[in-house]
Amino acid sequence: MRQVKDVQLGDHLCLAFAHEAEQREVACAFVVAGLARGERVLCLTDGPGVDRVGRWLREAGVDVTAATADGQLGVRAAEDSYLAGDRFDPDAMIAALRSEADASLRAGFTGFRVSGEMSWALREVAGAGRLEEYERRVTALFDEGMSAAICQYDTRVFPAERLRALIGCHPERVQPDALLQDGPLRITPGVDPGGQPVLRVSGMIDRSTTTAWSTALRTVTGGQGDVRIDMSELEFIDVAGLRTLADAAAALPAGRCLHVLQLAPALREVIRMVGWDRTRGLVIEGR
Amino acid sequence: MRTTDARRPPAEPELRHHALIYDSDEAFLAATTGFCLDGLAGGDRVLVVTGEANIGLLTGSLGPAAADVEFVTTRKWYGTPGRTLAAYARYVDTHREHHPRVRVVGEPLWEGRSPAEEAEWTRYESVINAAFAGSPAWIICPYDERVLPERVVADARRTHPGLLSGSIERTSDAYTDPAAFMHAADHLPLPSPPAGAVTEIRFDADLRRMRRQVGARAVALGLPEEQIGRLLLAVHEVAANAVQHGGGHGRIRLWADRDGVGCDVIAPGRIHTPLVGYLPPDSGAAHGHGLWVVRQLCDLLEIRSGPRGTQVRLRLTRT
Repeated sequence: MRQVKDVQLGDHLCLAFAHEAEQREVACAFVVAGLARGERVLCLTDGPGVDRVGRWLREAGVDVTAATADGQLGVRAAEDSYLAGDRFDPDAMIAALRSEADASLRAGFTGFRVSGEMSWALREVAGAGRLEEYERRVTALFDEGMSAAICQYDTRVFPAERLRALIGCHPERVQPDALLQDGPLRITPGVDPGGQPVLRVSGMIDRSTTTAWSTALRTVTGGQGDVRIDMSELEFIDVAGLRTLADAAAALPAGRCLHVLQLAPALREVIRMVGWDRTRGLVIEGR
Repeated sequence: MRTTDARRPPAEPELRHHALIYDSDEAFLAATTGFCLDGLAGGDRVLVVTGEANIGLLTGSLGPAAADVEFVTTRKWYGTPGRTLAAYARYVDTHREHHPRVRVVGEPLWEGRSPAEEAEWTRYESVINAAFAGSPAWIICPYDERVLPERVVADARRTHPGLLSGSIERTSDAYTDPAAFMHAADHLPLPSPPAGAVTEIRFDADLRRMRRQVGARAVALGLPEEQIGRLLLAVHEVAANAVQHGGGHGRIRLWADRDGVGCDVIAPGRIHTPLVGYLPPDSGAAHGHGLWVVRQLCDLLEIRSGPRGTQVRLRLTRT
């Protein structure tokens, strides 16, 4: 799982997001970094409102008018890109991207980036079923190292199984920049489908990362309101790591809660074994 | 003015733990019927865990009062020593708030146990005395002399401070303090794993590498994903203890047999704490939860610890 700050030319990455706020953060960071490096950036959009992405970029500090006038930034609807010709044709799309990439370099830009919204694939459009084929094949273009893409999939609308397949058609996934990275432990801020902020924990929590884990929990519980932690990407947590979680919940003032989301059933069981399920302030929501 | 309700004597905070060694249905009922009825009359919570035949007998003997007693079959309750102990701890914890005392008739399951299981279940009976010391619980463990091997009945006299016959209680002269309790098997080394089928993995403070190696091997041995998760957490906790307290390194032996997988964690350093992982920990404590969890994750946990180091053997079934 790549952090958006680490994206480079050559990458073909998948963003599976649960809320616009998360998508916006990643897409903007991707575009801003590309512009700053002198690359040409194309945003292929498929959301509500004509100027939604333009507004995101302006609010992120991009001089959209100037960048557009210089030819460095382009914003195009899916109908004029993926679906040009009223159908989705992987060959045509890959050829179009190649020609855009070549043109970018010829014009003196240092590379080419594509930020693509993919929800059009769920509409009744001819060729939409060939999206997986496209995603698999287009990797070769990015592999050449002069271009990069983040394909953005809304987890709320794509069926889980298709989403899994589509993610699998990308060499790697991307997520917002981490709040904390300590060896095998990463904590990333995100937004859940209900629009609530959530911290996604991935990697491993054991004796080598307990200090970072404990510090991170103290930091995030130090603010106001409830704290929500998504453990679905967690590979391993030991008993001391679970105790740290229970301690953090117990330390919250009355009325505030630490919500643990998507905890594996076996870990839920471990929490129960010790009696931490009775910790005031700890709310466990399973898978 | 203080009054005393004769029907509700003040709860005794001390554990009472009796063996009921019986040789007839009448002897079983003579002790258990009154025990249940007295408990109900005093507002105690009453749990009876025994075989289906005894549940039938006791239900008949109690009459309408049986409706107020909770019955669970032995097979359902006595799964593994670690989980059963935890289940009792949770039960007592849940009901002590609303009842002066929790009364339990608990008849363990001995039939079909391997020698290693029999030893650990015997130790479990002994551990009860320490785990529930100070708890408002009264536990009666029936032992059916008609079917049980003599050694099991003899050990019951060593693991129970009291013996019950009808309504007559007496002290067991053979009773041994749990911290000092040794099963006959404890003096013997653990049996060797099956020859030729053992993978050996050395470990040090890099437990992540150890988990990766154990995980890969467990996959190769055909253990289902959920059991691999349990195995990895259990091995991690034992190895982490070894790294922290026992010289910083050790080795793991992993093998599969008919029932599941066995795993030894062997490390220098000696465990001096008796009954390690057997006593319900305070959930708010700063440490000491690891082996309590390991005992519940595994189907069987055996420990041999001496001057030459410590061997912890974990067993997990396939499902």
